[in-house]
Amino acid sequence: MSLNREAFNKFAEMAGQLAGMDTPVEMPDDQRVANAKRVMMEKMDAPKAAMLESCIHCGMCAEVCHFYMTQEDGKFTPILKLDLLKRVYRRELSPLRWMHRLYTRDVTIEDLEEWQELVYDTCTVCGRCSLICPMGIHIAAMMPIMRSAYSAAGMVPAELHLMDTQQEQGHLFGVGKDEFMGLIEQLRSQGLEIPVDKDKADIMVLTSVLDIMVSQDSLVAMIKIMNHLGYDWTFRTDGYECANFGMLSGNEEGHLKASRKIIDAAVAIGAKKVIVAECGHSYPALRYEAPDIWGHALPFEVLATSEFLGQEVEKGTLKLKKAEGAHTVTFHDPCKNNRWGGVEKEPRAVLTALGLEIREPESTGRTNICCGGGGGAFLINRTADYRQRVFELKRDQIEATGSEALVVSCGSCRLNFEVGKMKSNWGKPVESLVEMVGDNLDDGARGSTAGSPQNSTQ
Amino acid sequence: MTLLEFARGPAMEWSLIILVAGVVLRFAGIFLLTRHKTYFRTKGGSTLAAGLRTIGTRSAPTPDLEHRVRFSHYTGYLWHIGLFITVLFYTPHILFFESILGFGWPGLPTSVVLAAAAVTLAVLIALLIRRMVHPVLKTISGFDDYASWFVTTLPLVTGLVAFGHIGAGFGWRYETLLAVHILSVELLFVYFPFGKLFHPFSIWFTRYMIGGQMEQRGVRA
Repeated sequence: MSLNREAFNKFAEMAGQLAGMDTPVEMPDDQRVANAKRVMMEKMDAPKAAMLESCIHCGMCAEVCHFYMTQEDGKFTPILKLDLLKRVYRRELSPLRWMHRLYTRDVTIEDLEEWQELVYDTCTVCGRCSLICPMGIHIAAMMPIMRSAYSAAGMVPAELHLMDTQQEQGHLFGVGKDEFMGLIEQLRSQGLEIPVDKDKADIMVLTSVLDIMVSQDSLVAMIKIMNHLGYDWTFRTDGYECANFGMLSGNEEGHLKASRKIIDAAVAIGAKKVIVAECGHSYPALRYEAPDIWGHALPFEVLATSEFLGQEVEKGTLKLKKAEGAHTVTFHDPCKNNRWGGVEKEPRAVLTALGLEIREPESTGRTNICCGGGGGAFLINRTADYRQRVFELKRDQIEATGSEALVVSCGSCRLNFEVGKMKSNWGKPVESLVEMVGDNLDDGARGSTAGSPQNSTQ
Repeated sequence: MTLLEFARGPAMEWSLIILVAGVVLRFAGIFLLTRHKTYFRTKGGSTLAAGLRTIGTRSAPTPDLEHRVRFSHYTGYLWHIGLFITVLFYTPHILFFESILGFGWPGLPTSVVLAAAAVTLAVLIALLIRRMVHPVLKTISGFDDYASWFVTTLPLVTGLVAFGHIGAGFGWRYETLLAVHILSVELLFVYFPFGKLFHPFSIWFTRYMIGGQMEQRGVRA
């Protein structure tokens, strides 16, 4: 299957208009600064303080950051992106604050304006910098604090702010519950059996606005897979959207609100598992971040689509035919699934089950280079040039493998690759993992596999 | 009281008091902050094992991460090892430690220590120049970076000057050169807890913490 070009172009056109549609947050400048500083202080704790105290300014973090690697500009150094947080910590909370106040400048509105580009446009919160730091500073784990500070200051980039606002209103890109159900009915009319709003189900499956608008084949593939497996599953109209623009923009309240829709729906039906669609950030947003914001453990398991598929393959419940077409593939690990979620072997197990030879690029798995559009950067129009350069870095690594196709398991990575392909006339097919599985379900093996997991997710 | 007596006596005592008190104050200030609780279901194995493992593995990054930081990486090793050799295996230093600790250890030949000190000094000078011209380093560097370089390099320089009796031609006595050397070490002690030189104390904790944090998500740090 391939991307719906017409829908993709329409989506790209809509994305290009987002900034102009946003209503900026009105707030006096001193209030913006005060809010940002308050959030930075509230979010600081002992481990983060120890890390901020430990930077030796070696600059190694820059050398593995795709934005510095492609721009060679010192301002893109990851630890510098945390400088405002470091300054607030030093002046307000550090044990040496009496000393730091003598020579550490306080944060100003001009600083906030200058750093916005570093916090959103040129950081995809991919986490690669956190892997190289010789001091063990988890730089990327502190970037969400910066974004929360910007959200409190009303200084989130227009595109992300608009999406965050829309999500709180119950839709994204104009796609809400009605549009979701409209698509479901359309697919049902094509003969697909789709459980929606069941009162009880073992598994709740999520989708994303990208799947609904652009990658409908991914949604169809997931439905076919779940039906093939024979599990007791459902979509829920009160909790179907996995994208979380609260997290991407730094609005913790919005993050939790979006997550609570899913959590409440899953709890209501007694779901044992919630499967997140192929949408990178949505996985850690629900699996790891939401419980910490909520202050409670989730009473169900959260799985990324690729993780779920890999587990089913490894259990022997998901039998696949050999995939037709490309024989050699490169898998692009979405940063948010791998470096932020530990999903690495599962998608590879799926590709192996499809009879494909996996050709790993120089940087793969946990050291994988980001597509360039993660962390919401894909929607920020002014980052297009930065993203394209990162895409080219990634493209060159993939080309060096000599594989015939690229496989991804994240909708925004996929779209970013598609945009990059168009701009650079790159001909490599970019495939969705879930769509490849949906296309290659071994119906012959269904009798022997569908029975065992029937009504059981264990 | 001569300058040498001052350096060996009250200056040494006070610099060590400031070093210890400063480190304790800084650690206390950090670890008395609250800790945010984790509510998500952890994924990996033992965070204790992962944390301890990361203390070691962070010294040797994987090749695809390391190939762009090789210069920083190896020069870092070089000057730290050179400094340790100079500090710990120069026989007069060992005698000084023995007078405090009550025990000593075999020293290395002076020529070896001298070579280590010279290499260390050369690398430190190269790193200073690099810090001033490299697009990343010159952007992120501030007073502390240059002050730390200065107080680290000064004892090496004064030590070499004392060793070579450089300055004798100007009428400076060896005792004066030695006193200046000891005072430069004491300056290092005094500055140690207040800037980035604190890192030899904190590195164990921060490496341990990131190892554990990433392990909770099933990721090898």
